[in-house]
Order: sequence, then structure tokens, then C-alpha cells
Amino acid sequence: MKYPESHPDLAAFVLGGLEAEEARRHLASCSRCRDELEGLEKVNRALEAAPPPVDPPAYLKDEILSRMRVEKRSRSNYVDSKKPSKTHRSYRSKYLGVVLPSVAAAAMVAIVALGIFFGLAREQAPVATIRLIPTPEEAAGLDGYWGVAKIRPQASDNQQVELRLNNFDEPEPDSYYELWFVSGDRRISAGSFTSVGKGETRVWLNAPPEVRSFDTLLITEEQLDSATASGTAVALEGEMPGR
Amino acid sequence: MSITVGDVLESEKKSRGLRPVTSGRMDALSDEQCMIRLDGPEVEAAIAQLYDRYGRTVFGVGLKILGDHSLAEELIQEVFLKVWRSSSTFDPSLGSFSTWLFRVTRSVALDLYRKRARRVHPIPEGDSHIATMRDRSAGPQEIVDESWLSWRVSRALETLDAPHREVIELAYFGGLSQREISQRTGVPLGTVKTRTAKAFRSLREELSLGDAWQVATR
Repeated sequence: MKYPESHPDLAAFVLGGLEAEEARRHLASCSRCRDELEGLEKVNRALEAAPPPVDPPAYLKDEILSRMRVEKRSRSNYVDSKKPSKTHRSYRSKYLGVVLPSVAAAAMVAIVALGIFFGLAREQAPVATIRLIPTPEEAAGLDGYWGVAKIRPQASDNQQVELRLNNFDEPEPDSYYELWFVSGDRRISAGSFTSVGKGETRVWLNAPPEVRSFDTLLITEEQLDSATASGTAVALEGEMPGR
Repeated sequence: MSITVGDVLESEKKSRGLRPVTSGRMDALSDEQCMIRLDGPEVEAAIAQLYDRYGRTVFGVGLKILGDHSLAEELIQEVFLKVWRSSSTFDPSLGSFSTWLFRVTRSVALDLYRKRARRVHPIPEGDSHIATMRDRSAGPQEIVDESWLSWRVSRALETLDAPHREVIELAYFGGLSQREISQRTGVPLGTVKTRTAKAFRSLREELSLGDAWQVATR
């Protein structure tokens, strides 16, 4: 529908940008605009229910594809382990009663072993995914940055931390990064690393079981010539979920 | 670091510019054709295309239902894995892919909501734009039921071209007046008004095609 010049801008009216009195005077005498306004107000109400216009973090698509690959491999291993070999087929009728249960048992052992392997290896689903937010000083120089830390428990009860940092600046010369778990005055280091700058840095670090109850993750920049890491020059921080 | 709505919109604009482009062959595929390919060698390209098309809606609705970034990230992963695992249950004769995907999203969201109910924690300060959109007086089922409208509005917004979507997003999520939109974008005020009016009409037509209209107007 095209608005004639003499009709008010009803979209602006709905958004509160038009003199209400002027529009109301017109609406009192124009049924077409009243109908039009009714429709626009419905759109207005619908838009108020709209979800926030936020893109999901870029790493999620890769994460989904990666989990699909792992699952496909697991399925294919399962199918392979269920397939009887040619030798088995030729003896099937003779040894069916003996071989089949053995093969099934072996397959089950293999499946359980694979399950344990995948369950405890780094491809296990993380128990927590933490967004790492740059401090305001750090954020000023970052372009296209995103970062997450994924926590996975290990068989030893240690916590593996997978760090994925995109476009995270390299440390200054003679510096490195340190990952900390922090809770009040307590802090435990999960290890040191450096970043590649442009593109994705992906590292795996480890922390003791106690960090599961800690509140915060910090990434600090440390001096190589310092005897101990100070943990004060914070570049990134993230909150553990459920805290 | 505190994240403002303006920052969100700014990062949104940037990320749109960087949005990956899929191959020409896959570009031509409909949702239904992508679903068929989930059972073949092109599975990754097909799921990637569906993700590019619907990821923002799933994530946005997830944020609205769950009110938590980490949970919304978990939701989007589980939803697209479920799409892949359950592709054989999709029957295009019973409804569109969008409707089917909404049901999957709703189901996963409800599971996550219940599973994590005891772990709900205060929304960080930086996520105030999410906190304001979550009605904490509503129960999980009620929130999830209302998400159909959010879904439809999100899909309707995706049908707008970038300049028209921008004026709507700046008005509704940035809280800007039309004059402020003009100043922010450098687009003349008259053009902002024209785009707003046109965007409203497009959205009205798009929303009137489905159930969202009844929900929105009740």
C-alpha cells in the first residue's frame, strides 16, 4: 500500500516518533489509516517478542561438525565390529554356537573400550563451556576476537581445559600467557601458552580436580624474566557456569 | 567488560559482513533438499547450510527461552546434532522444515531448562539485554510455548534485506529513535522513515502467513 502525501507516517507514529496529537486528529477522520495502524501495531507487538539479534559464536559451527565426525566414526567402528569376517562366514554353520557369542563378546569389549577411550579423551562433551571476555583495555585492540574454554574431566579426576582463542594478540616480546582458576583469594594455574595472533589458537591445559568449584577463569600476561607468575595483568576473564 | 546493545548490533553488522558463503551448488538447495543430503556424502555441507540459514534464529530463541549464553550455545549444538540424527523423521508433507526445526528447538530447550533448573545463576551484568527480555514470572512450559512467536518474528526479520532489517533492529534492540538511527547510520532521516514503513509492511505480510499473527494479536 502506498501512503498518499496527506496521510501521516504511521510507522513513525507506532514507534513514537510522530506528534501524537497531529496523528490522532487524522486517524479520527480516516478509516483507511485506522485499519493500517491496527496492522502496524500488531507488528509492533510481535517485534517486542523478537529474540535478540545476536549471532552465535563462530566456533559453534565447527564444534557441531566436529561432534558429527566423532559420532560418525563411533558408529562406523560399531558397525565394523559387528560385521563378521569372510572366515567367520565360511565356518558360520559349523561354529555358530561357539564363535558368535565370542565375537559378540569381543565386539562388546571393543565398544566399551572405544567408549571409554572417547569418553575420556579430549573429544568427550565438555561439562562446561566458558566464554572468555577481554578486559576493556585488551578489547580495544582486538578485531574479530572470540574465545572459549571447555572443561572436561579426565580419568585421573584432573580437569582438562581446551582453549580456543580467535584473533587473540600474541603476547608482548619476552612474555607469555597463563591460565588461572580463581576463587576468592585462591588461584591455581592451569599452565602457560602463547597465541598465534591472527587466526585460531587451540591449546589443551590441565588443572587439578579442585578447580571444579572455582568461580572464575583468568588469562594473564606474564613476563618471562620474572621468577613467578604474578597473575595481575589480566587479558581475558570468564565465569564458571552455575556460580 | 560490559557489553551494550550498541556493541551487540555493531558486532552483528561486522559478523554479517564476514558470514561464510557456501558453495554455489549447495546455495541452490532448499531446506528439504538439505535434509535429504544429511544421509549422504554431502552431509557436512548440508548441515552447514541449514546452520547458516537458521543458526541465528535457534540461538536467538534459545537465548530468549533460557536467558543464558552458555545454555544457548549448548542448545544450538544439540539442536543441529538432533537435526542430523533425526533427519529421517522429518516429513515435508506434514509441514515446513522451519516448523519442524522449531519443534526440535523447543524440545531441546525444555530439556535443558529442566536439566539445569537447579543450576540457574544470575545473568552477568554484560548480558542485560538478555535479562530484560526474559519474563521470570513465567514457567518453563509457558516460556517455551511463547517462543513460537519469537521464532516467527525472527524468521520474518531474516526475510528483510540488510538496510530494512538494520532500521528495525536499531529501533527495537538499540532503542534508537528514527532521528538517532539517521545520525548513527548516516542515512537521511527521510530514507530511515521510508525504510521503517516498508519494513513494517513486509513484516506484517510475512507474519500474517502463519500462526504468529494469532499469537501476537491475542
